[in-house]
Amino acid sequence: MPSVKETIQDKEVGLIDVLDVILDKGVAIKGDLVISIAGVDLVYLDLRVLISSVETLVQSYEENNKEITSEKLDEERRAIENATGKAGKWRD
Amino acid sequence: MGRISEAKERVIDMKKKIYLYGFIPSEELDKASLPEHEGFDETEDIFTLPVDSITAIVSQLDPDAYTEEVIEDKINNDLDWLQKKAYHHHEILMLLNQRYTAIPLSFCTIYNNEESLLETISIQAADLLDTFKEITGKEEWNLKIFYDEKKLKKQVHENNPVIKQKQEELKELSPGKQFFERKKIDKLAAKKMEKELNDRCGKIHDELAAMAVQADIKKTLGKDATGRKDNMSWNSVYLLEDSEVEGFVAEVMKIEKKLGESGLNMEATGPWPVYHFSSLAKA
Repeated sequence: MPSVKETIQDKEVGLIDVLDVILDKGVAIKGDLVISIAGVDLVYLDLRVLISSVETLVQSYEENNKEITSEKLDEERRAIENATGKAGKWRD
Repeated sequence: MGRISEAKERVIDMKKKIYLYGFIPSEELDKASLPEHEGFDETEDIFTLPVDSITAIVSQLDPDAYTEEVIEDKINNDLDWLQKKAYHHHEILMLLNQRYTAIPLSFCTIYNNEESLLETISIQAADLLDTFKEITGKEEWNLKIFYDEKKLKKQVHENNPVIKQKQEELKELSPGKQFFERKKIDKLAAKKMEKELNDRCGKIHDELAAMAVQADIKKTLGKDATGRKDNMSWNSVYLLEDSEVEGFVAEVMKIEKKLGESGLNMEATGPWPVYHFSSLAKA
């Protein structure tokens, strides 16, 4: 029987989790090379592209697909309502 | 039983730069030697660089191929490279963390040559030894809490009397006015939701922090970064005594179960190399 600890350890760790820790500021010692990552946030922004490719490999987000679709629909519906100023018969 | 091949002694080329992964206590190498592994540049392997009781884990880099400009450019523009190298860095640190008491360093900590690194080690030796003591027998764990915006919004709309009443009043307005009024209500609801999230996550954090030697709250990451559909509302890190880890994880599971369909979703990961809690910069 795996312990609870093992089940958590076995979870996939995404690139963003890794970057979130290895780019952490509070590290012990600095090197000679000063590498300024202009904006970690900028790196993060571009990661979206990367994450989608990881996704297809890991296929761990598969189950969320349905939710995404209905959320998208709601978003579009709201946009139409906002544009027309009229509420449709569907609500969130 | 398969034997893990050991990292070979390296002939150090003084012209080469040194990529530094982290430090371990030299004596721990007697019990478990460093396994052979490809370095930051695929043409070089990782190796040990001992300075008395402290051993640096490093690999060599071609000085012309790894300049500040080149690396900066790669980090910012070459995502395949970033992904590959970030995972490599992490992999080595995980390997060290599983075998030794390891002080992990930040991604792309690079020295111009061996001499420069050795000098740094001797200057910082006392602090490094202190840090070994502080992190021995401890693990670093991360917690991220995500929330389903739609679900939480709905809860706030249903449970907040002010918002509920305003929504009732909405029905009597013309469609045009409704549009602006709805915007106002949304803004108010967003505020209430933020407070609600902070309260709920803060409570969870306090509970878990009580089991930790140290705890810290980190910046949350946006959807663009996580690539997830739900939002991050909490990002924190805990330093735990080994003996507390099972209890901590059990508590995480318990809270997770309790959250159920509330719209909040916890994700604990660990043990991580002690990136966050091995800072030598003492307050």
